[in-house]
Amino acid sequence: MPAGRPGPAAQSARRPPPLLPLLLLCVLGAPRAGSGAHTAVISPQDPTLLIGSSLQATCSVHGDPSGATAEGLYWTLNGRRLAPELSRVLNASTLALALANLNGSRQQSGDNLVCHARDGSILAGSCLYVGLPPEKPFNISCWSKNMKDLTCRWTPGAHGETFLHTNYSLKYKLRWYGQDNTCEEYHTVGPHSCHIPKDLALFTPYEIWVEATNRLGSARSDVLTLDILDVVTTDPPPDVHVSRVGGLEDQLSVRWVSPPALKDFLFQAKYQIRYRVEDSVDWKVVDDVSNQTSCRLAGLKPGTVYFVQVRCNPFGIYGSKKAGIWSEWSHPTAASTPRSERPGPGGGACEPRGGEPSSGPVRRELKQFLGWLKKHAYCSNLSFRLYDQWRAWMQKSHKTRNQDEGILPSGRRGTTRGPAR
Amino acid sequence: MSRREGSLEDPQADSTISLLPHLEAKIRQTHSLARLLTKYAEQLFQEYVQHQGDPFGLPGFSPPRLPVAGLSAPAPGHAGLPAPERLRLDAAALIALPPLLEVVRRHQAELNPRAPRLLRRLEDAARQARALGAAVEAVLAALGTETRGPRPEPAAAAAAAAAAAATGAGVFPAKVLGLRVCGLYREWVSRTEGDLGQLVPSGPA
Repeated sequence: MPAGRPGPAAQSARRPPPLLPLLLLCVLGAPRAGSGAHTAVISPQDPTLLIGSSLQATCSVHGDPSGATAEGLYWTLNGRRLAPELSRVLNASTLALALANLNGSRQQSGDNLVCHARDGSILAGSCLYVGLPPEKPFNISCWSKNMKDLTCRWTPGAHGETFLHTNYSLKYKLRWYGQDNTCEEYHTVGPHSCHIPKDLALFTPYEIWVEATNRLGSARSDVLTLDILDVVTTDPPPDVHVSRVGGLEDQLSVRWVSPPALKDFLFQAKYQIRYRVEDSVDWKVVDDVSNQTSCRLAGLKPGTVYFVQVRCNPFGIYGSKKAGIWSEWSHPTAASTPRSERPGPGGGACEPRGGEPSSGPVRRELKQFLGWLKKHAYCSNLSFRLYDQWRAWMQKSHKTRNQDEGILPSGRRGTTRGPAR
Repeated sequence: MSRREGSLEDPQADSTISLLPHLEAKIRQTHSLARLLTKYAEQLFQEYVQHQGDPFGLPGFSPPRLPVAGLSAPAPGHAGLPAPERLRLDAAALIALPPLLEVVRRHQAELNPRAPRLLRRLEDAARQARALGAAVEAVLAALGTETRGPRPEPAAAAAAAAAAAATGAGVFPAKVLGLRVCGLYREWVSRTEGDLGQLVPSGPA
């Protein structure tokens, strides 16, 4: 049995798995029958140690006493020969080793400490596990897709580097009753994540925590308490269509469908739209498109291809007061605005957050004016729609006039036509 | 049949072998399988040594080549044996390998749990060894040659059971065992490829 094992924390660590056949002569302490060969035993066998600690080990030679002496034996660690001054001969058949201030293990299967005979042959080996106990995992976050499952992610303590294999186990239970359960599907959305696929209750809180265990000890995160309904997310809105708005060169119409998995529950769903010019990486975001499945983007550049995406936040589901979790963005849908000779006025019902300064205020003021007119001038038929129709008519008229006067689309005058305006 | 067996025992006379087309196809297929698995066995060996850490991957690393219960390396005189005997030994070794590869896989699952590719290769190797062993036995049967009575599985299973029951042998010896098993797998698959290659009729398939 190995001697000099570290303290209780290491005692609770896993032992080396018992997987060698009794007849297998790879146990390097067993002499080869009839050969007179020397073999040895290293003690301690497979110790677990804290980083910075020391190790005292021995290599005791068995076999033919006349040939097996400690003189000439030497040690290697991970294939590198250790300095002779670290070793000393204890007796005729035993060579001792003293290592101080150990570094973390180079590989998770353990550092290979080997005792060699004078001719370099291997007499015995032992694997060292040098590392740190786990620190408390933290920052647990969870979400449920369509109230059907639960996925959780966490951050390992101490940035996860313990130099030892550390096992993380996500546990959960109903807050006021029920037994502890263990999540089984790991690494679903990253190395520190787990997915619970079914059998989850609604309208009752769960307690969720993470336990980290390695050869040197264990640690437990704080408990997260949540109701599945408070962390619901859903699929991106399907069937996103982007189209032109008649001849309006600065607008595009976006339509989508409510995510089907929750469509019967999304009474208060929020949507968000983002769009960008084809050759740009900067997205503009339209916030708080509340409970509609269409929106018009305004203030766009004429003759330009735009990519558009939509996402959904199913907040308020079954009366939940929590903010809800945004879905992934839908697949990008592209459309182009019509070409024009003059820039559009800009502004609209779904103005971008960082919209063009020249278009936003004009359209807002117009909206306020129309609202005032409706109240005070009994112009019930006035609306943005009417305004947009007027603008489309204006542009058509402008084009027709330009053609009559020989103005080409680029603004250049045709050679066979009359003078420019 | 005796003419066929006679030609099997004279590997130099392969140009005169007139094998049935289906038998020729079977031999070619099995030979191709063995060639493919030789490549996979080498990849497994390299991946295995990488995950055990130095000195396992270093040139000159030479732990004692001690026998594994139920399986040994091809004997030095293997190449001089008659073809049926060589193929019988190949089949027996390939069939003995899967339980040992499974032992190594279970051990590596604890030692190297974050090495999924290594674990998958070990799992695949067990299946592939079994498949190649069965294919070689089928070739022997098609040649009218008996395979060696009951399969050596009980011996291999006993070795694997003993492996699972043994305690306190240590991690380093277990790493050496895995190295030995992966090495034996590589040797026997390569040996099988060579033995089948001598049976493949010359000329296009």
